[in-house]
Order: sequence, then C-alpha cells, then structure tokens
Amino acid sequence: MNTRGEGRLLLVVGGIIFLLVSLLMRKGERIKGIAFFVAWLLPGGGHFLLGKWKKGLFFFLLLAATYAFGMCIAGWRPVSFDDNPFYYVGQYGSGATLLLAKLRGAEKAILRPEIHPSWFDPGLLYVCVVGLLNIVVMLNILDVKLAARPTTAAPEKAPSPPEAPQAAAAPAATTPPASEKPA
Amino acid sequence: MSGLNYLFLFFPIVMVILLILEACRSDDPRKIAKRALANFGVLTAVLVLGGAFVYVINRWF
Repeated sequence: MNTRGEGRLLLVVGGIIFLLVSLLMRKGERIKGIAFFVAWLLPGGGHFLLGKWKKGLFFFLLLAATYAFGMCIAGWRPVSFDDNPFYYVGQYGSGATLLLAKLRGAEKAILRPEIHPSWFDPGLLYVCVVGLLNIVVMLNILDVKLAARPTTAAPEKAPSPPEAPQAAAAPAATTPPASEKPA
Repeated sequence: MSGLNYLFLFFPIVMVILLILEACRSDDPRKIAKRALANFGVLTAVLVLGGAFVYVINRWF
C-alpha cells in the first residue's frame, strides 16, 4: 500500500471513529471524542486534554521510553511491511510512532556493532507493543470521569423548615385578630 | 545470542504492559505499583515453572 492510500485509509477510519464517539457520547462528554483523537496522535495527550495531566504524563513517558528503547535495539529502524506485517500494523496504534516511521523510512537502519543483530526482532516487537498499548490508553479515555462543570444557573431555594405546631398556635391564642376587637 | 539472553527483554516489556493496564484501572499510584508487581510476580512464576517443566521433560524423558 502506498503512502497516499494509507493516508486516505487513516483519514476515513479516524473520521468514522471520531463521528461515532461524538454522536454516541452524551452532550457534556463530547470532548471525549476530541480527546480520543488527540490520544491517538500523541500517547497521553487525551488525558492532558481532559485535565488528567499526571496520568497523561505517565502514559507518555512510559510509552516514549519503551518506543525509544525498541528503536535503539533495532538500530533506529522502524518496522517495514516486509520485516513483519503484524508488527507493521501495530505501529498504526499511535500517530506519533506512525509519523516517525514514515519520516525515517525503513531503509535507514543504523546497525551498531555493540548490539547483536538478533536483537532487531525484539526491537520491532517493542515498537509494535507501544502502538497496541496506545490503543488501550485511547479506550481508557472513554472511561475517564469528567470533573463537574460549575453551573451558571441560580441555585434552587432551600426548602423552609416546617413550623412547629405549638409555637405557631401560641401567639394566635394570646393576640386576638383586629376584627374581633371591641368597639 | 543464546535464547536465554532474550529473557532480559522480557522484564521491561511485561512491566510496561502491566503498568499501563493497571494505570487504566486505577488512579492511585501506590495501588498501581502494587498490583503491577503482584501480577508481574505471577507471570514470572508461570514462566519459571513452565521453563523448569520443559527442561525436566527434555532432560529425562
């Protein structure tokens, strides 16, 4: 599949997912649709958008470190379709890893003598796992509880406490109404 | 590189996977670390026991 075809396919799939998430969500939670898309672009970005910045940072650091380690032992070479089709598809789980793979190109491997060439395959596995784990993080966006928004409407009046029957009856007995006064 | 050296790559990737999965379930960092370590222990035990079983089978049978 060429790059243009992949781009179109990604746009169509992303658009369908974005529409479904936006339509199926309740009105106050539609920002999750945008967060879902942002989470695909950048691991942890969706949690940042929803205000869970600590969790977003945790996800980003963990996935970025794993990706960097995988790339390092694979000679900074991203997965190509010829290497392993399954690992290649795994890269699609994150927009950032996919972009890096497209920019770098599969043929630009830097094989270092201190790293054994047989570590190349586990490196590809690490890169693939990062993409798959990002899908899990994206799905977690849909489960995030949003903080309650402050309402602008006036608060409802508190119900008045019921009057005590004896206290209400006592003044009525002592003070007669004005109409009953003697002339 | 012998197959045994691949085990060095088992620990980081399994820890990353377990930490991500537990972080999706909970917000408490202590609980995340505790559950991830417990599950990591179980998985490692399964790996060691499975490896020992295969070794015994190949050695004496």
